[in-house]
Amino acid sequence: MNEYLIRKAEPEDIPFLADVVIASEKGMSDRLSFTTLFNKPEAEARELIIQMFEEEVDGCELSLSSFIVTEFEGKPISGSGAWIEGFNGNMPSGILKSNLISYTFGKESIAYLKTKSHIVKDLQIDREPMTLQLEYFHIKDEHLGKGLDAALMDRIEQNALAEYPALKKVQCQIFKNSVFSIKILLRHGFKIVKSYRSDNGDIFDYLPYNEKLLMEKVLKIN
Amino acid sequence: MDKVLITEKLTAIFRTVFNDEAIVLRGDLTANEVANWDSLTHMMMIGEVEKDFSIKFKLKELGKLENVKSLVDLIESKIGSQGLQ
Repeated sequence: MNEYLIRKAEPEDIPFLADVVIASEKGMSDRLSFTTLFNKPEAEARELIIQMFEEEVDGCELSLSSFIVTEFEGKPISGSGAWIEGFNGNMPSGILKSNLISYTFGKESIAYLKTKSHIVKDLQIDREPMTLQLEYFHIKDEHLGKGLDAALMDRIEQNALAEYPALKKVQCQIFKNSVFSIKILLRHGFKIVKSYRSDNGDIFDYLPYNEKLLMEKVLKIN
Repeated sequence: MDKVLITEKLTAIFRTVFNDEAIVLRGDLTANEVANWDSLTHMMMIGEVEKDFSIKFKLKELGKLENVKSLVDLIESKIGSQGLQ
């Protein structure tokens, strides 16, 4: 593990973080909601994701401040996003993310989303205030199986507890077909607490899967 | 356009986007009190407001919206500065 440097994400990591978001969003599929729901090609969606990170809005999954990265030989090889929902008087992360998308993607994309929103609405899960929300967790394939996932999870929890010692829970929303990630989360003490399913037949054209899990880990009180 | 007219227009947008014909707007109404106000419908509401009032919000302006009153005030100031088309 000594060859890995885990640190907070910096502005120069943003293009890499856009790739982390894309890889994490696709999961085990080739469907990226930033393209399918907003009618944008992937290359343009990537540029828009970069723009959203550059706005430096704190408190959601598209906030630079939510991310840590791992460096190996001077290059980022993993990115993980986590934030405390509603911390420091922040708006709900869903609203912050929506503001970023509304501002960045433009009215044509939002008009397109309007025609598709009924397809994905059943997989919208509210985030619980003052819990640590884990979203976007990606390690490059060649660095898997080296214990990095556990080190990253520990670091994410430590950082959050340093910021908010009364933190009680970590939550993660994940598509049910993300088998590998679910295995990592279970190994790290998460439990599946709820399942959300969409029976809309078109869902597979827009999202990686038709079922999402809410996973949760209760933190031990020290 | 005065605040009464803005609120009337906004009420129509809210009722359509949040799919609730009974919504009555008050200044201190927030997202937490509206059943269908989530990240998806928030995006659509912002899109409809921008379209119907022919304005474009800045990200910083969106980040300061706390309730319906702040939205009405912002729309009024945007119409004043951009001119209603």
